[in-house]
Amino acid sequence: MTPGPGSARAAAALAVARMLGEDIARSQRFLVPGLLFGVVLAVLFGGDPGALPEPWAASALLLYPVGAWLTHSVAGTEDDVARTVTVTAAGGGGPVVAGVALAGAAGVAVLSVLAVLWGLVAGFSTATPGILIEGLFGHLACGLSGVAVGLVCARPVIRSLGRALLAGLAFVVVTGTRSWLPPVGTAVAALGSGRGGVGVFGDVLLAMALVVGAAALVVRCEQGWPDEWGDRLEPVRRRLPRAVRDRFWPE
Amino acid sequence: MRLVDVGKSYRPGAPVLTGIDLQLEPGVPFVLHGANGSGKSTLLRIAAGCETPTTGRVESRPDVVGYLPDRFPALLRLPARRYLRHLAAIRRVPAEDAARTGEAVLTELGFSGEDGEPMAALSKGNAQKVGLAQALSCGADLLVLDEPWSGLDDAAVAALDERLAALRVRLLLTDHTGTAETLPGAQVRRLGPGGRLEPGPEPAAERERVRVRVEVVFRSDPRELLDRLPLARVEEMAPGRLVVRLPPRHSDAWLAAALAAGCSVRDVVREQV
Repeated sequence: MTPGPGSARAAAALAVARMLGEDIARSQRFLVPGLLFGVVLAVLFGGDPGALPEPWAASALLLYPVGAWLTHSVAGTEDDVARTVTVTAAGGGGPVVAGVALAGAAGVAVLSVLAVLWGLVAGFSTATPGILIEGLFGHLACGLSGVAVGLVCARPVIRSLGRALLAGLAFVVVTGTRSWLPPVGTAVAALGSGRGGVGVFGDVLLAMALVVGAAALVVRCEQGWPDEWGDRLEPVRRRLPRAVRDRFWPE
Repeated sequence: MRLVDVGKSYRPGAPVLTGIDLQLEPGVPFVLHGANGSGKSTLLRIAAGCETPTTGRVESRPDVVGYLPDRFPALLRLPARRYLRHLAAIRRVPAEDAARTGEAVLTELGFSGEDGEPMAALSKGNAQKVGLAQALSCGADLLVLDEPWSGLDDAAVAALDERLAALRVRLLLTDHTGTAETLPGAQVRRLGPGGRLEPGPEPAAERERVRVRVEVVFRSDPRELLDRLPLARVEEMAPGRLVVRLPPRHSDAWLAAALAAGCSVRDVVREQV
């Protein structure tokens, strides 16, 4: 049986993820976010961590920006010209963006498992299978949301490092500190105080949907969405007072 | 494969390409000329499928496309051969075939990078050779090559000439060294002002391939002598006598090297191939 276009694209995405993963492993650009996460885990579970799953609330929340950072690094590992070769080889931008997301998600999964295992060792007396699963899903929900943020705040949408950092940080701080807002806020709240909105499993599903949505947004942006919308909004722009138009919405 | 009414504009600014129609057939190399910044590279990216045209469309592009960008910088940490392997996997072509062809291309072109050396550390010429190897090794039905001869040494230029001349796939390329139009059956067009496609400098389809046949005599061992001379196609080799056939633009360099190596020139003939 010949593989259909869907499975061919999935295979291409997986191959892109492997290439970017190997390159980022060789460039060691994963070290800083990874070490940061490890140090915080050491502090959290170093002394008397308290009953599980409460200490995981802090590490899960941290995995939100760390996931975004990792994904941003993966997306930037290829320069623009090398990326054109990869896009041509993969047969479009979709598999390449999906590959970046997969590599970021793999990094998040490794860090999630690390956090859960560390918590299990440090707080063995209070661990139950249910709590372990809750901890794992809570971390995955936060980390995958970070992957979604990292995808949008990186090449090819935002090319400047400063702008990407500002936009990503602002978004993460605002959305990560609202305890009613799924998936990150509710997942952290569920681990911290036991209050859950949609439950950690629901949070993971929502975070996955966010990753898919972010990837689709990036692909559309690369295909010239901003220009299309610029054309559509041109009549609106022309009606604005000249002073406002020239200052805030130049052609 | 066809490009139909393709246009591209980057805002703000004038359109880079306007109303481009072109058809690519296997065995008919399509050579694109034009000034710097005339949109050649943009057109090639659109044909290769890594950029979306603002207007128009690309019809029936083959599944496997080999693309060489105008400069192949590759700031990657991957070593060259790992990179080739990964790209073959991304293209979903058989890994062994791609590795074998890739290795053959690297050898022909005289790639001299270390095995574990990161691509970021390669010289310009060696990086270009890796770029060519990835494009030529995937069994592509469409090859899009942006300045493939740039940065190559003489021996590699001759080897690339031979390889491209033997290909029977759809081939779209830009070149300012004047080599591309000597490819068999080449069709030359120019990108003019406003990004419109214009007829080429002359109908190159009827132009024939020219080679220079050189015969030299000498005293030393022929193999030892060949090692010291630029790469050339050897037609005859006997003790004390050697006949080679060269593209015209390499013949002067080869003759100078042969004279410097102590050879005596017997015969130089211009031939139509």
